[in-house]
Amino acid sequence: MDITRRAMTSASHSSPKPLSKIACNRLQKELVEWQVNPPAGFNLKPSDNLQRWVIDVNGAPGTLYANETYQLQVDFPEHYPMEAPQVIFVPPVPMHPHIYSNGHICLDILYDSWSPAMTVSSICISLLSMLSSSTAKQLPDDNDRYVKNCRNGRSPKETRWWFHDDKV
Amino acid sequence: MSPIVGSKQAEQLKQDGNSYFQKNRFGAAIDAYTEAITLCPNVPIYWTNRALCHRKRNDWQRVEEDCRKAIQLDHNSVKAHYYLGLALLQKELYAEGVRELEKALDLGRGANPGSYMVEEIWEELAKAKYLEWEHESTRRSWELQNLKESCELALKEKHMLDSSQIEGLVDENSTSLLKQLEAVGKVFMRAAEDDTPTEVPDHLCCKITLDIFRDPVITPSGVTYERAVILDHLQKVGKFDPITREPLYTSQLVPNLAIKEAVHAFLDRHGWAYRID
Repeated sequence: MDITRRAMTSASHSSPKPLSKIACNRLQKELVEWQVNPPAGFNLKPSDNLQRWVIDVNGAPGTLYANETYQLQVDFPEHYPMEAPQVIFVPPVPMHPHIYSNGHICLDILYDSWSPAMTVSSICISLLSMLSSSTAKQLPDDNDRYVKNCRNGRSPKETRWWFHDDKV
Repeated sequence: MSPIVGSKQAEQLKQDGNSYFQKNRFGAAIDAYTEAITLCPNVPIYWTNRALCHRKRNDWQRVEEDCRKAIQLDHNSVKAHYYLGLALLQKELYAEGVRELEKALDLGRGANPGSYMVEEIWEELAKAKYLEWEHESTRRSWELQNLKESCELALKEKHMLDSSQIEGLVDENSTSLLKQLEAVGKVFMRAAEDDTPTEVPDHLCCKITLDIFRDPVITPSGVTYERAVILDHLQKVGKFDPITREPLYTSQLVPNLAIKEAVHAFLDRHGWAYRID
């Protein structure tokens, strides 16, 4: 369960560009689908902002995170789904070897392994399975160094992640 | 086929026309294109460019004339079929207009499947089809409603007639009337099903756009995607199938004609699915 990162790129502070028409259509469809068939354990906060979804995550029963609720923030780029959304936990975050205390998540599908066939719903299911398979409530080994490096508000999408372990 | 180009002077007039057009000076642009046409009447682009100016001025009669001329010169002109389709729809020549837009769409997809023009033509076509559905379904639902009321009335009258003739069976008779009325209601509900907007079945929707297919292509993994979107994916995200993650190259994409037919059949029966949000 060893994760490290490679060099990081410099920070950028541009405000998000509005969603493209394709992104807008796709998110509206996802929203309708979510309302009809939400993933178990997740609760989308009602909002008028299609570009940022705030979602409550309930730890699965029988896991280390049972009866705990955390909050996810999903921000969509202009060219979603050709680009992955930015997904972070809003602190306080679940203690997990792949979740940094600033909310950044080390999960390959959010970065290098993104595919436009994935949806918010499928991301949520992957995240819950990542939480559920955890065997120890602990921060990533390099948490302090990483969080310090992110202090200027950099997006986790600008981190060059190095995934050693895709089991958890 | 390489485009037909006019003389140097005519080409200059076209350039002038284009720059007037960009400044929204449609009258001046029309004059420039007209001069170009006078010099070289066999260049289809001069006609379609002038047609576009007429379109901007809502002069649909002239749009039609210029487009017909352009099609005579080049029957594969996307723009000529496109603007002609719009002009015919304006004249409420619905079937002809839709046919021209479909022709433009086929030609446009062949040339450049992801272009803004293809998207624009699709939207115009969908809009026209949706309006037609709205119009037709309103008529159908009105007819059904009338027929339903007549049926209910006839049943009630029959019931009255029966109960005046047969004594002692009134309760049984009214139960059977209620059952019949309920059955009539169900029959009419089913008759209206096709015109009732619901969800498009998943197998007719692209896994990336989540929308009904327009131009479906299939990958060697057997997954079907919307052509413009999978091309975008291969260019921007990576050379892999978005669902199976198998390696995938543009040359491996093949039109999925069966799904295209299925989409056509679905849209023919359920015009509401043309709705663009």
